[in-house]
Amino acid sequence: MNLNPKIPPGPLADKWDTHRFNSLLVNPANKRKFDIIVVGAGLAGASASASLAELGYNVKTFCIQDSPRRGHSIAAQGGINAAKNYPNDGDSIFRLFYDTIKGGDFRAREANVYRLAQVSNNIIDQCVAQGVPFAREYGGSLANRSFGGAQVSRTFYARGQTGQQLLLGAYGALMRQVHKGKVRIYPRREMLELVVADGKARGIITRDLVSGRLESHCGHAVVLATGGYGNVYFLSTNAMASNVTAAFRAYRQGACFANPSFVQIHPTCIPVHGSYQSKLTLMSESLRNDGRIWIPKQKNDTRDPVEIPESEREYFLENKYPAFGNLVPRDVASRNAKEQCDQGKGVGETGLAVYLDFAEAIARDGRETIRSKYGNLFHMYEKITAGSPMEEPMMIYPAVHYTMGGLWVDYNLMSSLPGLFVLGEANFSDHGANRLGASALMQGLADGYFIIPATIATHLAGTELPDIDTGHPAFQEAENRASLRIKKLTALNGKRTVDDFHRELGLLLWDCCGMARNEKGLRYALNKIPEIREEFWRNVVVPGTNETFNQSLERAGRVADYLEYAELMVRDALARTESCGCHFREESQTEDNEAKRDDKNFSHVSVWEYNGESSAPISHTEPLVFENVRPSRRSYK
Amino acid sequence: MLTSSIGKKTVMAISGAMLSLFLLAHMVGNTTAFFGREAFNGYAGHIHDLGGILKLLEAGLLFFLLAHAGVALLLYLENMQARPERYAVKKSSGSGLIAQTMPYTGLAILIFLIVHLANFHFTDRTTPPSEMIREVLGRPEFALFYIFSVLAAALHISHGLWSLFQTLGLSHPRYNKLIMTGGIICGIAVGTVFVLIPVLAVIYSGFLL
Amino acid sequence: MSTITLTLKIWRQQDRKTKGRFETYETGPISQDMSFLEMLDVLNEQLTLEGKDPVAFDHDCREGICGMCGSVINGEAHGPEKETTLCQLHMRHFKDNDTLVIEPFRARAFPIIKDLAIDRTPLDRIIQAGGYISVNTGGAPDANAIPIAAERAEAALDAAACIGCGACVAACPNASAMLFVGAKITHLALLPQGLPERSGRPLDMVQEMDSQGFGNCSNIQECEQACPKGISIQNIARLNHEYLRAAFLSEE
Repeated sequence: MNLNPKIPPGPLADKWDTHRFNSLLVNPANKRKFDIIVVGAGLAGASASASLAELGYNVKTFCIQDSPRRGHSIAAQGGINAAKNYPNDGDSIFRLFYDTIKGGDFRAREANVYRLAQVSNNIIDQCVAQGVPFAREYGGSLANRSFGGAQVSRTFYARGQTGQQLLLGAYGALMRQVHKGKVRIYPRREMLELVVADGKARGIITRDLVSGRLESHCGHAVVLATGGYGNVYFLSTNAMASNVTAAFRAYRQGACFANPSFVQIHPTCIPVHGSYQSKLTLMSESLRNDGRIWIPKQKNDTRDPVEIPESEREYFLENKYPAFGNLVPRDVASRNAKEQCDQGKGVGETGLAVYLDFAEAIARDGRETIRSKYGNLFHMYEKITAGSPMEEPMMIYPAVHYTMGGLWVDYNLMSSLPGLFVLGEANFSDHGANRLGASALMQGLADGYFIIPATIATHLAGTELPDIDTGHPAFQEAENRASLRIKKLTALNGKRTVDDFHRELGLLLWDCCGMARNEKGLRYALNKIPEIREEFWRNVVVPGTNETFNQSLERAGRVADYLEYAELMVRDALARTESCGCHFREESQTEDNEAKRDDKNFSHVSVWEYNGESSAPISHTEPLVFENVRPSRRSYK
Repeated sequence: MLTSSIGKKTVMAISGAMLSLFLLAHMVGNTTAFFGREAFNGYAGHIHDLGGILKLLEAGLLFFLLAHAGVALLLYLENMQARPERYAVKKSSGSGLIAQTMPYTGLAILIFLIVHLANFHFTDRTTPPSEMIREVLGRPEFALFYIFSVLAAALHISHGLWSLFQTLGLSHPRYNKLIMTGGIICGIAVGTVFVLIPVLAVIYSGFLL
Repeated sequence: MSTITLTLKIWRQQDRKTKGRFETYETGPISQDMSFLEMLDVLNEQLTLEGKDPVAFDHDCREGICGMCGSVINGEAHGPEKETTLCQLHMRHFKDNDTLVIEPFRARAFPIIKDLAIDRTPLDRIIQAGGYISVNTGGAPDANAIPIAAERAEAALDAAACIGCGACVAACPNASAMLFVGAKITHLALLPQGLPERSGRPLDMVQEMDSQGFGNCSNIQECEQACPKGISIQNIARLNHEYLRAAFLSEE
């Protein structure tokens, strides 16, 4: 397996420039001869589709929802980082690069992360030009805030709906290209197979979710922007349709998967409150700027929180991390909340929650100030729980939020399968073992607006791409694979529903491959997953037929893939015996129970190659080389 | 441009504005009835003396009326088609009740207009106007018909006036309340004046004598 | 935690062409902490195990921002709670033994795909006609080059908050899409970046809106009552203003 990251030579700051200069170009007149398939229309997919079409390529964009305006990027609340240094507080490209790579616990490539910081400024310019209504100062210039514990104010935002506004900007750009005839949108389509012809990704098989028809689409390159796999846990902050199928099908066709065990668990979500629950709702991290996190000192204390006196409260983050307090990074905050709840000190009906208290902030700044800062979040909390954070502490608990792992890509964002490019959350590239707040939007748009338009040309101009169409036998084979699977699923008439299996798998992963992992639990999961999978293929019930709008069938296909994918995750977690970022291996901790990284043995990307259904995947590594920063220990004490 | 949805609404707004202006003028003129027969017949006489200008005004009025009613019918039919399958249950929030009855109050006004013109315009014009009123509106069934029609007109214009500002895009958060209240005041004024005439004609035997 | 049981009358329609009808279902105990869609999930699990066809309904983010969900509950788009999408509506707003009539958003422009799921691509087509600022990637000036007053940016965001769910169309007795179009026109008209295309945009978008089969606005105001993001009919006035300005006053 060739896992050359193709990092350009030269000084860090010049790499992207050098690379663009050394890359091949496609002659403007020739661009219209290339068809590019983009799967997904969130931030990465929409921005890539629009930008590629602007260059002259013919783009086909596929999305699973009824409209490309609904990708789950839309739900991002907090903001987007950029190294503009508008507040004059000492920010720079290098500092954004450093914070991001350090935040990722030194498990990402220097060159990729530096490039991300470099283009971050162009993203803000581009979005403003599109009419994204970012928050402004009274003088009319852009407002910035500090986010996720960053020491500088570099986050641009549009109230609590930054993701929505950025996505609508990209969606507008995309719609403009549709109008011009350069992009064709295929809504309500799910990618079920990747087509590889002569060793290159040349097309996809999709299912029209309304008619059930399988369709073949041929192109010169395939771009996956299909998001993360957080829904493998059943409960997550992801949208219901977010899934791993596209990425996993590509993996089965030969694209390697990197760091599948890296999953971010966000500390401030609304706790689970019943077995019927379908998803978890994130409350913006900005709440930790003013809210204080605590639990009762006494176990199983069922008193009303406002009746618990100050002396009987434990502000565990403030006590343990005096320098950062409640603003420690996401992984640290999550892990500590879990630790407290595991000791039986959790609150709420299930005992799986901690308090996030605004009483002190309200007393200090006044009700109005707090309401103006967090009003919309409080409103959302109230809608879901019927409790008012102005009157009583909020209850929060960590929830699966983002996946840093993804398909392996090189500096060009091309996977190990030539012609298959992977953008946004679907790739593994920039966040290492932990993503910082306000960095996901930045990465999705960097990949789509600025990186793929420059790097795809090297493949198109430098590779022999024979003139094939969907008549090529590879398409027939792929379509047969997809159709066979659907037939198998619809023929099943067992006793358990798809969601039932999904819930069982999710719970198993949450317990064994969640916030803290150990060998025993991981081994248990590794044995258990094939059992669930075996029962699934025997005992699941999928009502209806393929030839209709069949949402149960859609979910069944996705859960079937999760049941295979989960095993890969667990394998990866098992192999990485160090703790790093969001991956906390209980065997690898310091004396004071903090994560202990092992740079000697694990300063690498773990890369997995598919090796058939009956054998274990092949493990590869891509060493990480640090020439410009020295991996230091993350300490927030 | 006039064939687009907003274009058609603009035609409605402008023709509606013209018809409202006429109605308001008519209302002001009719208040002379409260000052006795001389005042009223004098006012009517002045109008008749306008001659050619009157014919021109009448032609204009007819034009706006046809435009308003014609486009209204078109919009009504288009709007019906925009939802071929109706809801089994439909709840209105309440704020739009008058707006929703516009086609029906409009139709009522149209029917009224025909009767009204037959009564007072296409009739023997040698009788003094005050006599015509006493004759027609002295009959309770006519008076009742007039009262109901006038109430329909009052509802129609109380929404119509605000609506025309909204349609012409002459809207500003600072003045919206004012415009809305203005429309309602006009509606009430029109209602009061025009209702009083048939009411007086029925209950006060000395009216316009 | 209290539970309730409900009678659901749900619109069932196999596909676009087949005639639909109401089916009545009695639910098991429903926790009042559930969201409306979770209640439908529970019903669907029950139907699946009984060998019946589950109810198709659109949904995705389930946090009120993607705009994918929406049905008419007892005559109200997105149900009885103000400024709340269906996915954020919780069962604590209903009482034991309530009967809920659940219908899809109905409009000629939104054909039914199945049961409660509808096709809203006409809204995308309206945006395609001009609901954007024509700027290519790259070459944008520095983001701070154009100052925009804070209040103006906030007002633009009020309009840009539209989630494209189509509740305005569903609630309008005329099935008009003017609030949707008005919100986008207002968002772009309030910002200096939107000015160069000020004349073409409203003409193109309204033309597309008309050709998609939506009804006409009669200023009934049901749309703003139903809008889960509280978008006001002020946006429609601005659309009218921008349209008439472009149609009759523009020099282009």
